Amino acid sequence: MALLELSDVQVFYDKIEALKGISLSVEAGRIATLVGANGAGKSTTLRAVSGLIHPRAGTIRYDGTTLAGRQPHEITAMGLVQVPEGRRIFGRLTVEENLAMGAFTRHDRRGIAEDRERLLQLFPRLRERLRQVAGTLSGGEQQMVATARALMARPSMLLMDEPSMGLAPMLVEQVFETIRTINADGVTILLVEQNALMALSIADHGYVLESGRIVLSGPGRDLLDDERVRHAYLG
Amino acid sequence: MSAVSLALWTVRFLVVALVVAGTIGTILKDRYTTAQWFEFVLFGLTIGSLYAQVALGYTMVYGVLRLINFAHGDIMMCGAFAGYFVATPLENSGFLEVHPVLGMTAILAAGMVVSGVIAVLTERIAYRPFRRVQGFAPLICAFGVSFFLEQTFRGLFGSSVKSYPAPKWEGVEFHWAGLSVPGVDVLVIVLAVAFMAVLYLIVQKTRMGMAMRAVSEDGEAAALMGVDVGKVIVFTFALGGAMAGIAGVFYAFLFKQVYFYMGFTPGIKAFGGAVLGGIGSVPGAMLGGFFLGLVESVGPSLFLDGIGIKAPYELRDVIAYTLMILVLVFRPQGILGEHMAKKRA
Repeated sequence: MALLELSDVQVFYDKIEALKGISLSVEAGRIATLVGANGAGKSTTLRAVSGLIHPRAGTIRYDGTTLAGRQPHEITAMGLVQVPEGRRIFGRLTVEENLAMGAFTRHDRRGIAEDRERLLQLFPRLRERLRQVAGTLSGGEQQMVATARALMARPSMLLMDEPSMGLAPMLVEQVFETIRTINADGVTILLVEQNALMALSIADHGYVLESGRIVLSGPGRDLLDDERVRHAYLG
Repeated sequence: MSAVSLALWTVRFLVVALVVAGTIGTILKDRYTTAQWFEFVLFGLTIGSLYAQVALGYTMVYGVLRLINFAHGDIMMCGAFAGYFVATPLENSGFLEVHPVLGMTAILAAGMVVSGVIAVLTERIAYRPFRRVQGFAPLICAFGVSFFLEQTFRGLFGSSVKSYPAPKWEGVEFHWAGLSVPGVDVLVIVLAVAFMAVLYLIVQKTRMGMAMRAVSEDGEAAALMGVDVGKVIVFTFALGGAMAGIAGVFYAFLFKQVYFYMGFTPGIKAFGGAVLGGIGSVPGAMLGGFFLGLVESVGPSLFLDGIGIKAPYELRDVIAYTLMILVLVFRPQGILGEHMAKKRA
């Protein structure tokens, strides 16, 4: 069953058409990825799903209900959580507070404490830095905070926007490893990446976006072998 | 060295020279007694504690909306009026004389509630439609709200200056090491600090306070974490408004005057305090408010008397505004603030 389904979504910034009718669906429990060049509309797609911008036409359905007219915080409360591009952690808040912000929509104290413990095991580095102001952390650690913060919401689905951006190659490997782990725990993932090689190699299904249109789609493996994809994105 | 930086250094040098020369001159003249200096400092702290309370509203609203709520001084005025309408019958009936604690609680509660509610209403009616508007429109809207509140109160209650009741117990003075300490000053400072401590705890320790800090830093990211940004903004206005209401009651209590325009000057000064401390920073606003109050109270005598100015106290506003301008020129981020450029656009 498709957990997230976009059909013919059109988004305009003023008069510029950023998304020219996008349709895609993400099956529950899977990893889907949206790859493409800068400015193709990848982030715009995620912003539309999260309710940060409103499509002019088309529908976005999550878990069977339409997201039209819903506010970002309501969408997050439904279990559809975004890790935004550039991490956007709260630099002046402590790591601990950043994690607490992630659980903002939840009220089950015990469950929150359990999840926090679990995430600190997944990211042991963060335990040492709990009381530290998050802005002083390294890029890799900040990505950990961003991911852990989103997982504190106990999401059913995670939208990840360029999680590998600006990280050293070794850390990039780690990020993708983490994505696999999260997915193995049952979280559905829609991953937006410029690093098409890595993204497609872990994705069950991939979509290639080009100037606001999906030009190719198929199982991640198949796209990796596709001549056109290789030529355009993998070099 | 460019001409501009040369000019700026000249200004810096002149200001420092003036302050140093004035201070030395004043000390040599020895015109003021220790008791008088103590009085200046105490009054500076008293008025500073009020500026600090009002400054908090400016800084918090700026934090979540990036808006200078120009009407915030008038929110303070609303609280002063509310307090006045409760204080007058309480005083006339003799209640305030017999039960100072209960009476003051009622007066402060009235000021807090009325200012808080009016602050929330201004947000709901005037500022919310501008939330996504860039540029100067929201600021101009704030000017409009300011005029609206002033003229409404003028229309409703007249433009005359109303005198605030003066219960007999407020004349109490404490004596300590040969200095006399007016009880009112102590009351105002202690309560202002207590209320600010409560506010600080709310901002630092509660869920809503944490959400407020998160929204101040990155509203969109906070929304993605499930924060209802609209609710946080309302909360911020309520908190800042209540704080201004308390300050308004105290301000009226100190100066014994209530009138529709009374919020303007302390509003500007408190805004100066917020800028001085670093706009957006809660501890900065408190610090800046106190600092401005002190400079304004001690500064005229300390800096200006020594260079032969006859009635330096008349120039206290000049000192306060000069300080504000100097901060804007030389350290626009304030004492505790960070560079605006560092903030996310």
